[in-house]
Amino acid sequence: MAETPNPAPAQSTVTLKIDGQSVTVPKGTNVLEAARSLGVSISFFCYHPGLSSPAVCRQCLVEVKGQPKPVPSCYTPCADNMDVLTQSEKALTVRQQMLEFTLVNHPVDCPICDKAGECTLQKLYVEWDSAHARMDYEKVHKPKKVDLGPTIVLDAERCILCTRCIRVCDEVAHDHQLEMSYRGDRETISVAPGKQLDNPYSLNTVDVCPVGALTAKDFRFQMRAWELMTTSSVCAGCATGCNDEIHHARGEIYRLVPRENQDVNKFWMCDDGRMTYHEIRQNRVAGARVQGETVPLDKALSFAADRIVALRGSSGSSGLLGVVANAQATNEDNYLLLKVASALGVDRVYLAGRPARPDCADDILRHADMNPNTAGARAIAQALMPGKAKGVPQLAADLEGGALKALWILGDHVDLDEEAQAALARLEVCIYQTPHQNFLSDKVNVLLPAAAWAEVDGTFTNAKGLVQRIRRAVEPPGEARPHRELIQLLGRKLGIALDYPNVRMLFKEMKQAVPEFAAAEYGRELPVVQLRFAGSRG
Amino acid sequence: METTFRKRTSKATVKVVPRPETLNKELMLGGIIQGLAVTMRHFFQNVAREKPEVTINYPEERLKYPLRNRGLHRLMHREDDSVRCVACMCCPTACPAHCITIVAEETGNGNEKRPAIFEIDELRCIVCGLCVEACPCDAIRMDTGEHMHVVDRRDDAILGKVDLMKRGISSTAVQGGEPNWQERVKTVPDPRFR
Amino acid sequence: MGIVLLFLIPVVVFSIVSVVLVGVLGAALPALAAYPDFTWVMDPWFQALIKMTLLILVVVMPLASILTWMERKQSAKMQDRGGPNRAAILGARAWGIPHFIADAVKMIMKEDFIPAKANKILFSLAPVMAIVPVFVTFAIVPFGGDVCTHQLTQVVANPALCTDKVTLQVARLDVGLLFYFAIASLAVYGTTLAGWASYNKWSLLGGLRASSQMMSYEVTMGLAILGAFLVYGTLEPHAIVLAQGPLPWHWGIVYQPLGAILFFTAAIAETKRTPFDTPEGESEVVGYFVEYSGMRFGMFFLAEFIEVVFLSAIMATVFFGGYEFPFLFPDGFHLLGHSLPLPHVAVLLIQTAGWGLKVIFFCWFQLLIRWTLPRIRPDQLMDLGWKKLLPVSLANVVVTAVVVLALMAR
Ligand code: SF4
Ligand code: SF4
Ligand code: SF4
Ligand code: SF4
Ligand code: FES
Repeated sequence: MAETPNPAPAQSTVTLKIDGQSVTVPKGTNVLEAARSLGVSISFFCYHPGLSSPAVCRQCLVEVKGQPKPVPSCYTPCADNMDVLTQSEKALTVRQQMLEFTLVNHPVDCPICDKAGECTLQKLYVEWDSAHARMDYEKVHKPKKVDLGPTIVLDAERCILCTRCIRVCDEVAHDHQLEMSYRGDRETISVAPGKQLDNPYSLNTVDVCPVGALTAKDFRFQMRAWELMTTSSVCAGCATGCNDEIHHARGEIYRLVPRENQDVNKFWMCDDGRMTYHEIRQNRVAGARVQGETVPLDKALSFAADRIVALRGSSGSSGLLGVVANAQATNEDNYLLLKVASALGVDRVYLAGRPARPDCADDILRHADMNPNTAGARAIAQALMPGKAKGVPQLAADLEGGALKALWILGDHVDLDEEAQAALARLEVCIYQTPHQNFLSDKVNVLLPAAAWAEVDGTFTNAKGLVQRIRRAVEPPGEARPHRELIQLLGRKLGIALDYPNVRMLFKEMKQAVPEFAAAEYGRELPVVQLRFAGSRG
Repeated sequence: METTFRKRTSKATVKVVPRPETLNKELMLGGIIQGLAVTMRHFFQNVAREKPEVTINYPEERLKYPLRNRGLHRLMHREDDSVRCVACMCCPTACPAHCITIVAEETGNGNEKRPAIFEIDELRCIVCGLCVEACPCDAIRMDTGEHMHVVDRRDDAILGKVDLMKRGISSTAVQGGEPNWQERVKTVPDPRFR
Repeated sequence: MGIVLLFLIPVVVFSIVSVVLVGVLGAALPALAAYPDFTWVMDPWFQALIKMTLLILVVVMPLASILTWMERKQSAKMQDRGGPNRAAILGARAWGIPHFIADAVKMIMKEDFIPAKANKILFSLAPVMAIVPVFVTFAIVPFGGDVCTHQLTQVVANPALCTDKVTLQVARLDVGLLFYFAIASLAVYGTTLAGWASYNKWSLLGGLRASSQMMSYEVTMGLAILGAFLVYGTLEPHAIVLAQGPLPWHWGIVYQPLGAILFFTAAIAETKRTPFDTPEGESEVVGYFVEYSGMRFGMFFLAEFIEVVFLSAIMATVFFGGYEFPFLFPDGFHLLGHSLPLPHVAVLLIQTAGWGLKVIFFCWFQLLIRWTLPRIRPDQLMDLGWKKLLPVSLANVVVTAVVVLALMAR
């Protein structure tokens, strides 16, 4: 790139030289990011792209020609004609010395430290230093297992005082709960006396902590980070649709961590969303049931199909059949269900989902709608059966009024009261595809085991209308299958030819049928990466 | 333009053995008799010798094992007889046979972490010793000199924490090296003093 | 010590065997027949039955079973190993000999497995088809001279002349060795059926190889021994033995050295043992009995060893003077003008024991060959059979015939 000094006064970019390479960046960019854009990596602890830069760790020092002292690259804005040396003798030495300094009082607990394997300090040590400690005095000891709140434990010895956790509380959760106390080598992170670290975004501190000082109680000692595999997905906790990574090993999910998406969640995720993975293994339906009896899946499907066919014979083509789409299910599942319904001539369509919880909402990330796909389900219903989709209250009314003889429900949550449930139990046939057992599973006469959100491929549409890709991380238990497969099987038994060997084909068709999805892309397949090869996340 | 095909001149070609080579080779009789003579010689020699020259009749006769022989695993103890292992999972990570299963738990004391379950499937173990190499805490060792005992059921070959600790003794190794480590590491070139 | 035992044990064992055989057939039964109620014991059918039973119980089965141990022990010794030495009866390890009992117990106790798609009837029939013919062929083997029951303690110069004779041979058939060929070719059914009925491609391959091999080598085998027939002018084994006489330079090996080698080679191929074990070929097709387990497999296993014993017996009979002991004439030893008259019974005992020793020697020799030579390829096997052994044996027959004709014409 040729250097073209811009004569215009309202200059919006600056051009500088980093390690001899010249680079043009927007004004205000710091040197560290500019170097990154060139592929030059500078070590750092306290800087975080989503937070302000206090420049407290000095791990990012670089040499700038003409300046007597090395400068922290995370804090230094780029300026025209700057000449930065990141790999000079001086820059390397100061960074190495800073690292050694950081390690002086570090306990090196790696064997019992949950961060080991994804620890920035560990990574830098191995990459940079790998030398024996020169410190042979007793290290400074600090409290080892400090209970900071309901979710987090602090190991003050491991803390390198980068203040990232403080800034997360301040700048993301907008709640100043953490503070430095004491001075010098006694300095520690702490909460105010009598207070706790309990904001709804507290677990982000664990993510940003570059070392193992803050550990999540939920994940503590459960699994070593390097054993975990990562699958990129989207949180199913609310309509915001925070992008996340599912961390799993040997078919078990161990945690959810946020994945950067500047349009949705930036770098963050709420605590409740992180805990949604627990549900996946709770109260699962692993086999099909017909009238309370466990039967092979195929039997259950045949039973349901026979009943529906019989009904259609006796009471008109629609057979008084209703279908319930669900905001908990993916776009593809809902689309396929409604497609089958319209092929069957069904005109009673309902939209279910978890009840909203306005008390949980805030204007940071959390949304009152607790369903990941309300927008998607609505759009699909509108496109396929314009004006027909009704809500759950209408469903309850129709059930009690006897307008329905058969119902096909996509699980898992349908908010019906006692009376409606009793009416549901009286239906000729009620097919309920659900991952979880709940108050409905005993009332229906055909229970089909469905896969939960972490067990399927597909898309969710969040509250902003973004169609986001979710990916299968673990295998569903027992006979459980994705909703769309169950719908395909049952549809075939009802004489509707459905053949979608993969979700991508289904998505393509849906994209054409639903105007809201015209611009959506089905995300690419991502390899499942083991964290031990993914480097540090810190 | 005239094209000439170059003849292969390389000497490295397939060696063609003319058949029949020699009458003797073709008959194979000479070779057969030679072979029989060798085996017969060995037969009579060994019958006369009574005890085979090289065989070690294992349970009755035993070789002396070298000091670095890898035997059954054991878990070492701390001074207070609790387990030294901190469930760091380095050994199952290193284990090529995937035969170590560890579930960690909190200790409630200063050691913080220990294995709640520590199992080694000795039938799967390939006795490579990588677990010992991997252990940062001198918690697992293979210096018992014991062989895996005979089991009737596969499950019996899975040694649990109790079994493994039964063989263990107290280890006083200090993490980070012994007190005079500074003296010894002087011989190791330090990258910082280039 | 070991060497001494190696010779001593067979000598002792076969002395006992010969005492049993000669004692029962030559003395006990005739003595029993003296009682009017028991004259039927001398009936030919009962005699044949007793002889067959005795032969199988006293010689063939013990020898075949012990061969299973011998094979392993001998191969061990040839390869500087220890060999089986663990099985023990009441703590007596006896060089591991109890291993053959342990093997038998193991085979009987093992699961008798029949593959799901196998033809059950033929699958069960095959092992029987394999083992029965080899037993039957023993009928023609003479294991001792004729017993003159009334002159046991006297010196008998010519047993052919005495009146009451008991033959130490189950059936004296004029067709003699042709009977052997006829019956032995039945054994091929066992292997072929086993290979086919198992519903397994490897066993089918093994079965095909076995049948092609056995049929090919039968031809050579017959032609190789034809020379011997021309020389002796008979097919009947006992007559062949008598024609050879006690002088080793009149034995078949001297008259028909080429025939002997050809026959031995072809006959080893018939037993399907290394170097001709392509039908089993552990490293390639595993063989026609790959699906067999337990005692069914045991039958194939045993049949193989009985064939070894039988082949040794035939070698001894046709080419090594049968039961004739060197320089032992019916009336005693005659050597270089010296003579040692012996009573009839002593001569018989020595002859039968000598026969046993010859048989065990050839068994040993076959094991030696089995553990020395490597397996040959199936195509080489066919080459050897049809392109080498067959022409040579034909030539042998022609030359022998011409010589015999010339000698007769003179
Ligand atoms: S914070 Fe990092 S370096 Fe420190 S003990 Fe934990 S893993 Fe090891
Ligand atoms: S606890 Fe972690 S994030 Fe907070 S200051 Fe210490 S090292 Fe930084
Ligand atoms: S010796 Fe090797 S195979 Fe056995 S447990 Fe240790 S690491 Fe695993
Ligand atoms: S490497 Fe050592 S301390 Fe770590 S889990 Fe294995 S035995 Fe325990
Ligand atoms: S990252 Fe720049 S000073 Fe900490």
